[in-house]
Amino acid sequence: MAIPTSTRPKPFLEAEYCKACLRCIDACAKDCITQGEHVHPGTGMVPVLLDLENCNGCQLCIQACPEPYGLRPETEREVNSGDFELEDPAALFGPRASHLVEPVDHPGIEIPIPAREPLMLKGTYASAIGALIAGCRHVFGYPITPSTEGAELMAKILPKLDGAFVQAVSEVATVNMMYGCAGAGLPCITFTSSPGFSLMLEGVSYMIGAELPGVFVNIMRGGPGLGNIAPEQADIKLACRGLGHGNTHGIVLAPATPQEMLDLTRLAFELSFRYRNPVVLLGDGYLGQMTGVVRLPKTMTKPGLPAWAVWGDLEHRRNLISSILITEVDLETHNIHLNEKYAEIEQKEQRAELYRCEDAEIIVVACNTPARMAKGAVETMREKGVKAGLFRPITLWPFPIDAFKSLLPKAKRIVVVEASPGQLQDELRLALSKAELNHPPISSVQRFGGMLPEQAEIEAVIQEASLMMEEVKA
Amino acid sequence: MSVIYDHFERHNHGEGLKGRTTHYCPGCGHGLVHRDLAEAIEALGIQDRTILVSPVGCSVFAYYYFDVGNTQAAHGRAPAVAIGHKRANPNSIVISYQGDGDLASIGLAETISTAQMGIPITVIFINNAIYGMTGGQLAPTTLMGQKTSTSPEGRTPAMGLPLRMAELIAQLDGPVYVERVALYDAKHRIKARKAIEKALRIQAEGRGYAFIEVLAECPTHLKMTPEETEVWIKECMEPVFPLGIKKDTIVEPWWDAEQTPNFEAEKLLALVGASKEAPTRHADGFPTHLGGQDISFKLAGSGGDGAQTAALLLARTAINEGFDATNIPSYGPESRGGTSYADVHIAEHEVLNPAAPNPKVLVAFNMPSLMKFAPTVCEGGVIIYDSTVIEDISSLPVMAKGIKLVGVPLTQLALGLERPMVKNIVALGAIQAVTQLFPAETFLSTIRTVLKDKPALLPLNEAAFAAGMRHASLTHA
Repeated sequence: MAIPTSTRPKPFLEAEYCKACLRCIDACAKDCITQGEHVHPGTGMVPVLLDLENCNGCQLCIQACPEPYGLRPETEREVNSGDFELEDPAALFGPRASHLVEPVDHPGIEIPIPAREPLMLKGTYASAIGALIAGCRHVFGYPITPSTEGAELMAKILPKLDGAFVQAVSEVATVNMMYGCAGAGLPCITFTSSPGFSLMLEGVSYMIGAELPGVFVNIMRGGPGLGNIAPEQADIKLACRGLGHGNTHGIVLAPATPQEMLDLTRLAFELSFRYRNPVVLLGDGYLGQMTGVVRLPKTMTKPGLPAWAVWGDLEHRRNLISSILITEVDLETHNIHLNEKYAEIEQKEQRAELYRCEDAEIIVVACNTPARMAKGAVETMREKGVKAGLFRPITLWPFPIDAFKSLLPKAKRIVVVEASPGQLQDELRLALSKAELNHPPISSVQRFGGMLPEQAEIEAVIQEASLMMEEVKA
Repeated sequence: MSVIYDHFERHNHGEGLKGRTTHYCPGCGHGLVHRDLAEAIEALGIQDRTILVSPVGCSVFAYYYFDVGNTQAAHGRAPAVAIGHKRANPNSIVISYQGDGDLASIGLAETISTAQMGIPITVIFINNAIYGMTGGQLAPTTLMGQKTSTSPEGRTPAMGLPLRMAELIAQLDGPVYVERVALYDAKHRIKARKAIEKALRIQAEGRGYAFIEVLAECPTHLKMTPEETEVWIKECMEPVFPLGIKKDTIVEPWWDAEQTPNFEAEKLLALVGASKEAPTRHADGFPTHLGGQDISFKLAGSGGDGAQTAALLLARTAINEGFDATNIPSYGPESRGGTSYADVHIAEHEVLNPAAPNPKVLVAFNMPSLMKFAPTVCEGGVIIYDSTVIEDISSLPVMAKGIKLVGVPLTQLALGLERPMVKNIVALGAIQAVTQLFPAETFLSTIRTVLKDKPALLPLNEAAFAAGMRHASLTHA
């Protein structure tokens, strides 16, 4: 009696896709598959042999084959592998990974904000509100003093705006949640402080590699190690020169007032998406906690969805967010692309505030809160007839060397004021050196460990510089 | 199989055989799980919602194969990345595909915390008892006595015992479905396929987090043939990692996949407390009688004295009058009871330096604060101290010239109102009386604005302010 023929398709094998693991042999109850005898010239493997006389189409061999194009049902056999040749359109016009349309860029829109009275906000709150205005509805974070209030405000507000605040298990998890959210094409932010920022840097490197936007507010505190919770500026090196491993850079913004905490957070999102790169907002502990007058802008952003996003829908299905490029040539090409981006940023995104610098002979360089003490000192010294001016970098990377260069012809002394052991001065010196600029002697006012330079100290150093200039003249 | 690319463009640019074969070694379990996953995605019709997060490990290149949205994550962080995706697009189906080094070693914190969050994602855990990509080192799931390149004499107890992740995850409250499956024979491969589909369905229906552990073959690093590996898994691994459902809870769909963020300007403004109404101004001009266009204050006490609130009210009052003001709090790590002081600046145009190392006005709520800051008060300055707690001021350090010392029994006056906590408002009244900073009405309207949601507290605070003012004017006069 004849065995009824199964309606289920039997397997077929394209020998070059067989890796000869032999898992199918054991899976076949009818012993249709045997170990091959001949090395396949294309693969060096010995593909299995199929004798389908007894095959009942159970397909268990197919389920045992780890290769997607190894054993397959007969029905999937491509037309041109039969006796007659029909040309496959896909093969004719080159293979395609995915039969999908090109992803489309959906731009964000600006929504008018009705006029309101100025708010009185502490720096971290101002930054959080800046993020909301920039269209950010996703915040990830881990509590750390003195930055936590930003996250606290977001935790309160975001659920009411159908957004999400997620308190992660650590800063490491935080930055990777940002990687996912940014990978989906949405703006996201975190509030952290020095030790937490250290922990995030691995993820920041991945974000730079994968070209993802994201805003990191680092309210710098005293270090190294656990240090203390008082203000410091000793993460300038980390933000400007050490954003994780590899060839990394990110725009570093340094606000000096609660108003700038809002404005520069908003700008950070814009730059972050424009360059598809993380942006760091460096504040000091004072700035995070300081309350001041903050005016709201005239518009807020409703973000769109970039073409590159991995949103999980049909339109974006062909996208990939990744920082791995296993082939050396590919990774070199990627680095060259990143270098071009960094060069463009260095050229276009330098920002600085110049205060009474027009005729200044003594240029005081300071950022964040110490820049305010320095501003007070400049004002006092001007009253005493000393031609001092404040140069306040708003971008620490790129350092605003073009604006600084314009002050050099009149400058006789430079005084760098900072709550760090020369990290701002190093950025200045590096920028001067790269631009091949000669510069006058540099004096410094440096405090550490949570102490900020006091106005009187700055005045004393300006006075000293002024006297030295007199001596030179004499 | 439509969920697997026709051609692996990302594998060596799709050139040669790599365009159609995986990067996995012969007999590797990953290929089988990839097939199961692809079939399950297809069966559920979720290809256009799916995001696959590839980990670090041998499956780092899972994105070569799956025709879905793809993200490649850092080592161990795939579940965190998955949460980022799921929160960004709640409608997406997010799969975190991880190996044993990734999930059970470097990513343990993310693994466990994400499982406990219970947000609907699907974690596929490939347990092959060894590190593959780095070349056969000890894994958290390596069996006792098993030789690896970093346990050359076999795993000993000091290296830790094999970590049973499915059981560990199942005892958490967050996950709804946890199962351990294997691939070593046809029957178990069918079970694995069903488990993966179920885990995805649970996510698609918004029911929660699911975790599938797969005992998978790594013939290369286990140094066996694929067939021997299948036997080894059955005979050696399975007794340590028993197969089966570890948790299967019936949970009604709860995840809101349709949630979209709100971008209404009015709503945002209301939430940040922005007001349409300009505060009424009472002052004729900046209080230049205190000297200059910038006045600095220091309010100092113990944590809980209310120095911070008083400082904030002071700054806000100046801003309501149209001036610039800043307030910097400074307090120790203790939530209550430590030292606590605040620097306030009020400037006619712009506060240049917000720190107040030499304040014009000092308010000291206790003796240590008075001793510490009295010598810093500038010439012609004002010191207001709580005379209830500071009875004897004979031991004060040397101070600048022309300092006006005013003792006001802040605590006693507050106690008179039966609320010691309002002593900071009493202090504000005292500041007003002694400095004539602004008209009293300015402070009162600030207090009213701040307490607009707690009107019951208003009479008390008004009384406290009046008490401070009255007492200080008497003393001062």
